[in-house]
Amino acid sequence: MFTDFFYLLKDVGIPVSPTSFLRLQRALSMGLILSLDDFYTAARSILVKSERYFDLYDQAFAHHFKGAELKDPEAFELTEVAKAMLEQWLKNPKEMSELLGVDEESLKKLTPEQLIEYFLERLKEQTEEHHGGNKWIGTGGTSPVGHSGYHPGGMRVGGVSRNKSAVKVAMDRRYRDYSQMGPLTQAQMGEALKRLRNMVPVGPMDEVNIDKTIYQTMKNAGEIEIVFDRSLRDRLKVYLAIDNGGWSMDPYIEVVQTLFNYARAQFKDLKTFFFHNTIYDYVWEDPARFRKPLRVDDLIGHDPETRFIIVGDASMAPYELMATDGSIHIEERTTKPSFERLRDIAEAFPHSVWLNPKMEVEWEYTRTIGAIREIFPMFELSLDGLEKAVSHLMKKN
Amino acid sequence: MHETQQTRQQFTGASKYVLDEELAQIVNISMALEMPLLLKGEPGTGKTMLAHAIAESLNMRLIVLNVKSSMKLVDALYQYDTLTRLNDSRFGDSNRDVSNIEEYIRMGKIGQAFVSDERVVLLIDEIDKADSDFQDDMLDVLDQMEFDIIEIDKTIRAKHRPVIIITSNAKKDLSDPFLGRCNFHHIAFPEPDMMRRIVQVHFPEISAELLDHTITAFYRMRDFRNVEKKPATRELINWIRALKADPDFQVKDLVKGDIPYLGVLFKKSPDYAIARNMVSRMRL
Repeated sequence: MFTDFFYLLKDVGIPVSPTSFLRLQRALSMGLILSLDDFYTAARSILVKSERYFDLYDQAFAHHFKGAELKDPEAFELTEVAKAMLEQWLKNPKEMSELLGVDEESLKKLTPEQLIEYFLERLKEQTEEHHGGNKWIGTGGTSPVGHSGYHPGGMRVGGVSRNKSAVKVAMDRRYRDYSQMGPLTQAQMGEALKRLRNMVPVGPMDEVNIDKTIYQTMKNAGEIEIVFDRSLRDRLKVYLAIDNGGWSMDPYIEVVQTLFNYARAQFKDLKTFFFHNTIYDYVWEDPARFRKPLRVDDLIGHDPETRFIIVGDASMAPYELMATDGSIHIEERTTKPSFERLRDIAEAFPHSVWLNPKMEVEWEYTRTIGAIREIFPMFELSLDGLEKAVSHLMKKN
Repeated sequence: MHETQQTRQQFTGASKYVLDEELAQIVNISMALEMPLLLKGEPGTGKTMLAHAIAESLNMRLIVLNVKSSMKLVDALYQYDTLTRLNDSRFGDSNRDVSNIEEYIRMGKIGQAFVSDERVVLLIDEIDKADSDFQDDMLDVLDQMEFDIIEIDKTIRAKHRPVIIITSNAKKDLSDPFLGRCNFHHIAFPEPDMMRRIVQVHFPEISAELLDHTITAFYRMRDFRNVEKKPATRELINWIRALKADPDFQVKDLVKGDIPYLGVLFKKSPDYAIARNMVSRMRL
């Protein structure tokens, strides 16, 4: 019984073992499971062995027993649409302004950021008013501002069912926070900190500990046993560069900063810098990116053993990365294209990583991500990604 | 009534423990399948309390094995008291038979659970503190329900399969073979209405007004951002105890946003500073 369900769990990536499946069969045959609700809890406790998979289990369960859509629309899809609109606007401002029914000139006065905000506002209005509509944010249709698979208001029908049925419980997705997929959240702070604890230098075990050696030798009744300790290494310096421009990074800045601040004690030095989208001639020490600029040329003279961690979504218009005067800030005139700057940094700090809150599956759709990945090893800003990033940072050479 | 259901003991809750249905069912299934139940969850969600509650409700004895990081499996099974034997052999002033080693074998916690004449609840607390060898070896013992005492070449077999509850704070990931042999449940932090019932169990005479405001304030404080160790059930209960003990405290202070005894709730100094700051902002 329920073999399909078993294979579905396997397919979505939950490690389920045949033994545990047989055990579930035993529970079924013993008459312990009398309803779907029973089945939900029993199957979960028998088959799923970590809360990290509870969310996946919930989704699979809801899908299997209710036919709910398996893949949830991403939370920041709205902002993605807005971004698509901005690109469209850059290509053809006239068409866009006609579509939105506003004066082209008034939109032209806005900065890119203001524009995005404006688009977002418009999109929100649209989702509220057009339930299931396809007026101008087409569902992959005729409108130029459409986004594949995005349908405001029309997604996922919850369905009427018994009060608090198992499927409904599953559809609540209570364990979303524990899921190891998806970007880091405040709830995962403790887990994430544990990943960072590995960022301590490890020397070889080559120092004789005299006291312990004497003690062990006495304990062995004179048989000599030499005890070695790890030789001491200086603690690490860590530079953290955070992309704090634009709304798409907002949810992660605080998480990342808290994370590293709590781990601060184990570092010799922790400095945080800020930039917008990508790094040009300067990074800033204040979040407003105004008062304390630091020249990248000075930065790259610092200790090459410093671990350099960049946090950003690496998503921008290609010219921002490639052109000499690429910055979207008018006051920021640059001498070198950003990708050369990044390359300088990568060379100056051999131990560097880029953490991206965008999930890996989305990376190939953004050209600048691909370009930056050639310069920095990139990892997801998730528990797994963090773990990989830390082991990369601690690698010798 | 069906025969199997008559013999099967059902767990429904205990006097000091508020049980949610989902968990009750998992406990019952694990008992029926004779599987150890592994409980994970953040501190203060009542993992350890559950074992106490099961023991109380099923009227069984509870044996607690507090796992320590340096522990070896054999410590949990039995101890061979060589020192007493040496002592006895030199002075000969006890009525133990020095040539009989069995008299110097003492049962550890798992051993006690095995030799007990009636079914017991065995709580293995904070298994994640021990290394993975300990965990794997222990599961073999729990799987086979027997172990050997090497010194006297004797096998101890469980008279009754104990109800086994294992808790973990997830400090380390547990090994796959270990997980494979347990049922698993993760206890999420209680929702506010569940928390009300928990507090009521501890303070039966608490006034509805105080209960409302403390719980609202508590969940608001749990939402403070950037706090490393959020206050949990234990902190809430201690906090309410502190409030009740203070003759100057009035419920309307809480409504105003005046929160005394923050130190009971936030125990790490950076957390405390953040909380102080946030609370003073709440007041405005």
